Amino acid sequence: MSSSWLILLFPLAGFIFLSWYGERISKTLAGWIGCGAVGASFLTSLVALSDLLFLSAEERVGRVHVLYQWISAASFKLDFAILVDPLSVFMFLIVTGVGFVIHVYSMSYMHDDPEYSRFFAYLNLFIFSMLVLVAAADFFFLIVGWALVGLASYLLIGFWREKTSAVLAARKAFVMNVIGDVGMVIAAFAIFESFGTLNFVEVFAAAPGTFRTNDDQILLITLLLLVGAFAKSAQLPLHTWLPDAMEGPTPVSALIHAATMVTAGVYLVARCHVLYELAPYTMYLIAGVGVLTAVFAGTMGIVQYDIKRVIAYSTMSQLGYMFLAMGLGVYSLGMFHLMTHAFFKALLFLAAGSVIHALDGEQDIRKMGGLQKIMPLTHATFLIGALALSGFPLTSGYFSKEAIILSSYHADMGNFVFWAIAVLTAGMTAFYIFRVYFYTFIGKTRSPEAHPHESPPMMVLPLLILATLALGGGVLGPWVDEFLAPVFGREVHHHHDGALETIALFAGIGGIVTAALLYVTGKKRMELIKEAFAPLYDLLFHKYYIDEIYDLLIVKPTKAIGAFLEEKAEKQGIDFAVDQLGIQVKEVSRGIGVWQSGKVRSYALNMIAGMVIILLFVVFL
Amino acid sequence: MGQEFILLVSASVFCVGACGFVIRKNPLIMFMSVELMLNSVNFLLITYSSFLNSLDGQIFALFIMTVAAAEVVVGLAIILTIFRTRHEMDVDHIDALKG
Repeated sequence: MSSSWLILLFPLAGFIFLSWYGERISKTLAGWIGCGAVGASFLTSLVALSDLLFLSAEERVGRVHVLYQWISAASFKLDFAILVDPLSVFMFLIVTGVGFVIHVYSMSYMHDDPEYSRFFAYLNLFIFSMLVLVAAADFFFLIVGWALVGLASYLLIGFWREKTSAVLAARKAFVMNVIGDVGMVIAAFAIFESFGTLNFVEVFAAAPGTFRTNDDQILLITLLLLVGAFAKSAQLPLHTWLPDAMEGPTPVSALIHAATMVTAGVYLVARCHVLYELAPYTMYLIAGVGVLTAVFAGTMGIVQYDIKRVIAYSTMSQLGYMFLAMGLGVYSLGMFHLMTHAFFKALLFLAAGSVIHALDGEQDIRKMGGLQKIMPLTHATFLIGALALSGFPLTSGYFSKEAIILSSYHADMGNFVFWAIAVLTAGMTAFYIFRVYFYTFIGKTRSPEAHPHESPPMMVLPLLILATLALGGGVLGPWVDEFLAPVFGREVHHHHDGALETIALFAGIGGIVTAALLYVTGKKRMELIKEAFAPLYDLLFHKYYIDEIYDLLIVKPTKAIGAFLEEKAEKQGIDFAVDQLGIQVKEVSRGIGVWQSGKVRSYALNMIAGMVIILLFVVFL
Repeated sequence: MGQEFILLVSASVFCVGACGFVIRKNPLIMFMSVELMLNSVNFLLITYSSFLNSLDGQIFALFIMTVAAAEVVVGLAIILTIFRTRHEMDVDHIDALKG
C-alpha cells in the first residue's frame, strides 16, 4: 500500500470519528481533530509531491496505486485504485493546504456554534470527497467523489438548518449538482461503450486511436462530461446555485469557492484533456461559455450589496477565466489560475468572514464602513486579496490572469472577441471588488450601534498566511507549468505582447480608479449613474431574472405536472385501483361468509354428506 | 366370525357415532360420539392386524388412543371454560365465529 492512501484516509477518519464521538468530546478537541486530520493529509501530500519530484518527467504520469481488484464481471473490471500524478498531487496540495487554513480559521469563527463538532465532521467529509474526486483513477470513482462533494456541500450550505433560506439554498445546490451528476453518469456509460473500460490511463491511451477528430461519439462524451463540469463549477446556465450557497457559514463559502467543489469542473476538463482535444467544437464551447460566464457574473457582481454575494460572483467570473484557459488548450495556465484563485479567494472570503464576525453577522456593505482603523489586519489582508483578484501588478492574480487574457488572443483558438470580453471582465472585477473594499473599510462607519473589533489571532493568522500566498503565489507560475507539463504533454507557450498586456493591466487599474472616484468621493455621482441606467441596474440587480425564468420555465411546470399527476394518476389511478381491490375482496368474502354459519352440527353434517358422496363415487363408479 | 360381521359391527358403531354427533346438542355427548367413531376404526384396525398377521394395525390403534386421550383433555378443558363463561351448553348457540 502506497502512503498516498493516507491522504484520503486522514479526513475520512476525522469525519467518522467526529460523527460518532463528536458530541462527547470537548469543542477544542473536536476542532483540533478536524484540523489535524486535514493537516496530516496536507503533510502526506507533501510527501507524495517529494516522491514525484525524485522521478523523471516521463515516470511521473500514469502512476496508479491499486489496492485490490474490486469488481471483475466479464469484461468489466474495476480496481480500488488512486492515481497519483502531477495533476492530482497539485490538486491534493491546494485542497488540503487551503482546506487546512480554512479549518484553523473555522475553529475560531464557529466557536459559539452549539453544533461545533458536526460542522467539523462535515468539513472533513467535504475535504475527503474532494480528495476522492481528484484521486480517482477511473470514471467510476470520479463520479463517486463527484456525488460525495455534492452531498457534503448540501450538508454544509444547509448547516444552519433552522434557517429556511439556508435549507432552500442547500436544496437548490443539490438539485443543480444532480443535473450535472446525471450528465456524468451517462458520459461514463458512453465511455464504457466506446472503450470497454473506465480506467483513465486506458481510456486516454485508446482515445486517439478510437476516434477521429469531432466524431459524434466523442462530441457526445465530452459534452455530457461538460454538463457535470458546468454544474459543479457554476458556469452558465447551471450557475444559479452558487450565489445562494452564501447561506452557509463563511468558512464553508471559502471552502466551496477556493479549495473544493467549484474547481472540480476545471479539474475534470484538465484531467480529460485528451478527450477534449479530439473534440475542438467542445473546446470552443468551453472557451465561449467560460468567457460569457466571466462577463455575465461580473456585471451581476457590480450591483450586489451583500459582501459575500459579490465575492461569490467574482468566483463565477474567475472560474469563467479558468474555463476559457481550458477551452483554449492552455491547461496549465488554467490550473495556475485555479491555484492563485484558491489563495486570494479563500483570503477574501475569510477576511469578509472576519468583518461579518466583527459586525455580529451583518453582511450588507451599505451598513459597513470605516473599518480600516478598527480592523487593521483584516483591512490589509482584504486589500491584498482585492488587489490580487483585480490582477494588480506583481500580485499572484496578475501573473495568472494576465497570462490567460493574453492567451485568449494569441492561442490557436483565441480571437479578438474572447480577448475583449476578458479584458472588459478584468476591469469590472477590479471595479466591483474595490466597490466592496471602499464601502467596507473606507469612510465613516454607517452603523453606529455596532461595536466592531479586530478578530482573534486564530482568525487573523490564516488571513496572514493566505495573504502571503496571494501576494507571492505568482512566482510559482513557471514551476506549475513545468510540473504539470508531463500530464498535459507539453509546456505552455508563453506569448509576449506589450500592447495587449498594457491594455489588460490598465483595465484592472482603471476599474480600481473608477471605484475610488465613485465610492470614495461621495454618493451623489453614484446615485446619478444609478438613475441614468435604471432599467439596466434593475436587470443586473435581479441577476438577469434567470432565477425567475427558471422558475417560470422549469419549476412551475414541474409543480403543475406534479399536481396534475397527484390528482389524476395518484388519487384517481393508483389509489383508486388499490382501494377498489380492497373493497371488492371485502364484498366477495361477505358473500362467501354466509357459508360459515357457526353451527358445528351443520358443519359435521356437511362433512358426512361429502364423505358419503365420495364413497358412493368410489364404490359405484 | 367372518370378516363381514366385524365390518358390519364397526360400520354400525361408526354410524351411531356420526348420527349422535349430528343430532345431539350437548357437547359432552358429541364428544362421546366422536370417541365412538374413533373406536370403531380402532376395532377395524385391530381385527385386520390379526387377520393379516401384521402388528402395524395394532400400533396404529395405540396411536389413535393416545391422540384421542390428549384430544379429550383439551376438548374438555375448552368445554369447561365455555360453560363457565356462558352458563349454557348448547352448541347451536355457540356461533361467535359466524361469517
